[in-house]
Amino acid sequence: MALYINGIGCISPQHTFYNSVFLPEVKEYTTNRMACVDADYSKFFDSGSIRRMGRLMKYGTASGMIALKDAGIDVPGAISTGTALGLPEISQKFLRSLIEVNETIVSPTAFIQSTHNTVSSNIALLCGCHAHNNTFSHKGFSFESALTDAGLLAKENVDNILVGAYDEVSDYKYAVMKKTNELRKEPCSSLDVYGEKSHGIIAGEGAAFFVLAKEKSENTYGSFVGNKAFYKPESMEEIKNHILSFLKENNSSLADIDVVITGISGAMEADSVRIALNKSLFSTQTIVAYKHLCGVYMTSSAFAFWLASKMMKAQQIPDTVILENRNRSPKNILLYNSHKHNHSLMLFKAC
Amino acid sequence: MRVFIAGKGVISAIGNNVQENLASLRNSKSGVSKITILPTRYAETIPAAEIKLTNEELAQFSGLCSNEPRTALLSLIAAKEAIANANIPDFKKWRTGFISANTVGAMDKTETIYKYFMEDSNTDKLLEEDPYDAGYITELVADKLGIKDHITTISTACSSSANAMAYGARLIKTNQLDIVVAGGCDAMSRFTLNGFNSLMILDNMPCTPYDENRKGLNLGEGAGYVVLVSEKVAATLAKKPTTTLSGYANANDAFHQTASSPEGKGNFMAMQGALEMSGLSTKDIDYINLHGTGTPNNDLSEGMAVQRIFGEVPYASSTKSYTGHTLGACAGIEAVYSILSIENGIIFPNLRFETKMKELDFVPVTELLENVEVNHVMSNSFGFGGNCSSVIFSKAN
Amino acid sequence: MSELIATLKVQIIEQLNLQHLKPEDIGDDQPLFVEGLGLDSIDALELIVLLQQKYGIKLANPQDGPQVFKTVRSIADYITAHKSK
Repeated sequence: MALYINGIGCISPQHTFYNSVFLPEVKEYTTNRMACVDADYSKFFDSGSIRRMGRLMKYGTASGMIALKDAGIDVPGAISTGTALGLPEISQKFLRSLIEVNETIVSPTAFIQSTHNTVSSNIALLCGCHAHNNTFSHKGFSFESALTDAGLLAKENVDNILVGAYDEVSDYKYAVMKKTNELRKEPCSSLDVYGEKSHGIIAGEGAAFFVLAKEKSENTYGSFVGNKAFYKPESMEEIKNHILSFLKENNSSLADIDVVITGISGAMEADSVRIALNKSLFSTQTIVAYKHLCGVYMTSSAFAFWLASKMMKAQQIPDTVILENRNRSPKNILLYNSHKHNHSLMLFKAC
Repeated sequence: MRVFIAGKGVISAIGNNVQENLASLRNSKSGVSKITILPTRYAETIPAAEIKLTNEELAQFSGLCSNEPRTALLSLIAAKEAIANANIPDFKKWRTGFISANTVGAMDKTETIYKYFMEDSNTDKLLEEDPYDAGYITELVADKLGIKDHITTISTACSSSANAMAYGARLIKTNQLDIVVAGGCDAMSRFTLNGFNSLMILDNMPCTPYDENRKGLNLGEGAGYVVLVSEKVAATLAKKPTTTLSGYANANDAFHQTASSPEGKGNFMAMQGALEMSGLSTKDIDYINLHGTGTPNNDLSEGMAVQRIFGEVPYASSTKSYTGHTLGACAGIEAVYSILSIENGIIFPNLRFETKMKELDFVPVTELLENVEVNHVMSNSFGFGGNCSSVIFSKAN
Repeated sequence: MSELIATLKVQIIEQLNLQHLKPEDIGDDQPLFVEGLGLDSIDALELIVLLQQKYGIKLANPQDGPQVFKTVRSIADYITAHKSK
């Protein structure tokens, strides 16, 4: 069942806070870590509640509220979210304090924000939503599962579903990535999308939320046709089969696809598959990359969802995301992303 | 379309498998005692419901390496038991999912490595950390179980595994999967022990859910899974499934980040939603397996909501008096207990109950009841962030 | 006493992240909870931590919180009474 994308909200390492513009200027990073462009969150929260919130809590909740406002919805029919790591920075603040004082006395404020559903419940609290409220925390399937949940909810007659994802790169996670040599060597440019200089990834983060509805509105960005997640494909053939069968299941075919959003990131092994696909299966489509804008994180496909929404509504593809230009307008968009063993497909259609 | 329960598996402080858990439930044998496995300053002062097996022992038992997170060891033991119990011929030919819940991933590992990180942000210990997130546990276990078609992890605090079962059932009902192994797991950690302690909701004695003088909860650990199957799969089974998952609902209290609203609005809506789906009335419910953590706030909100929706409250008890609060595992473990109640016609007592709460008209069951006709059991699970879930299990005819 | 009260105000602002307030915004006898400063149950727990960390005083029973944490002055009184013991 295709659902209309009637509202969006995105806070990322780029200037995505305002829905009225579409990547007005591209922010280049010369370090191997990107952080969300901070905004003034005081208008979203009262001073009583904002004082306790960690950074992710603020930008995660705010992007959800932006999406609701964009759609003109006060209370969504349900909320489903994905976060691979929950709220690591504030959880580790608690962990640090308990180690420092050797478990004697620790303050509870950080602990109460450590559960992974803190953002989705905070949104529910702010908009008074008593409906279904779910949070998936499964690596590169976190946002994908929330989308599957949204699809189920739609079949169960729920409308105006708020779906989204959020993650942050904590100092600890960054140290781990550094240690395991996953990161691109500094100094580097985030704008080198692929080629020799792009070996290694840039750690990123962000939050993106969407209101999915059964009826089109004046604000509709396009439609979300469906998604599919698959685990540990054993060969390139298997990946291709998943892509083709996914398109078929959604009454589409490769010939219909105008734009492919690829997860190219600088991670050598995964990129070799992506590049091979872009050369073989996707030889007539315009290829779009996005991780040079938001960095690598496990729910980055939510940023790609945002990009697809913006492209569909504007009927325009910003130069910065074009990897291979085959002069196609963004009508039918396919996303193929992967994070290690988690592979993800999404299909969009402009209205 | 009905969703059947073909198998179940559990490990908790009161037993390493279903039979041992049942025996302890029957014999009022609580698992709450002194902490001996988790290294913590509170070992002598705060009791908990630990599984008295070391990681090495659990590893031997599960077939995983003892370096793996304790949560994964527990998960695999219970999930394997559930699948073996279901005994589905040609398990591999069906579209199968593994939907698991946990709340703090491999915190037992992280909290140890983090200490080294605080001393040296470039410590070699970080090489051990890389993948320890919530999904890591699920993937490790799914690989061992040979499940690949649909895997994911739900993390909604203490209602996580109820939501995992509901999500699994919905995937079966929409014909996306034939079989789902669903439930949850969580091991003890200093992180959660100190967290609940900082909220001053841990009892320094074995907990007393639904008692007027209750002081708080005991933390526990474990894993519990059920094997959900479609009607089509159920028809192929030699052993007919005894129960169905007949109702479930999730609602949000939207009241406070950690506390429940005094009237239990979310709790009420979850119970109401589950009843509506099952097509049952409150009179049909024979037993309520309460969330019943033993904190002043939870038991009052839940009790008020139960009273409001049921009027005349059926048999009810909190089995957390045996297992402690196992967080992401509790709804999975209590699902197994609910099914045992139906299969054996028994109602488990709420241990250590003495004094009726003054706000409530009902008291929990305090002695084992046998030869009871149990057709429908409601199981409640409520978590931080106002996340409230109720599930209903029914005798399969 | 007035010195303790002044110190407490600074510590309360820090412990509870009340960045939007200055010490002089909090009256000595102004109720801290609900209708006053609008603090809640989590703040009460934070104040218990503050007493223990900064003054070595353990408030064993959280039920005593509302009485002790009524105002900055009542906290100061409690500290004075328990420090001398």
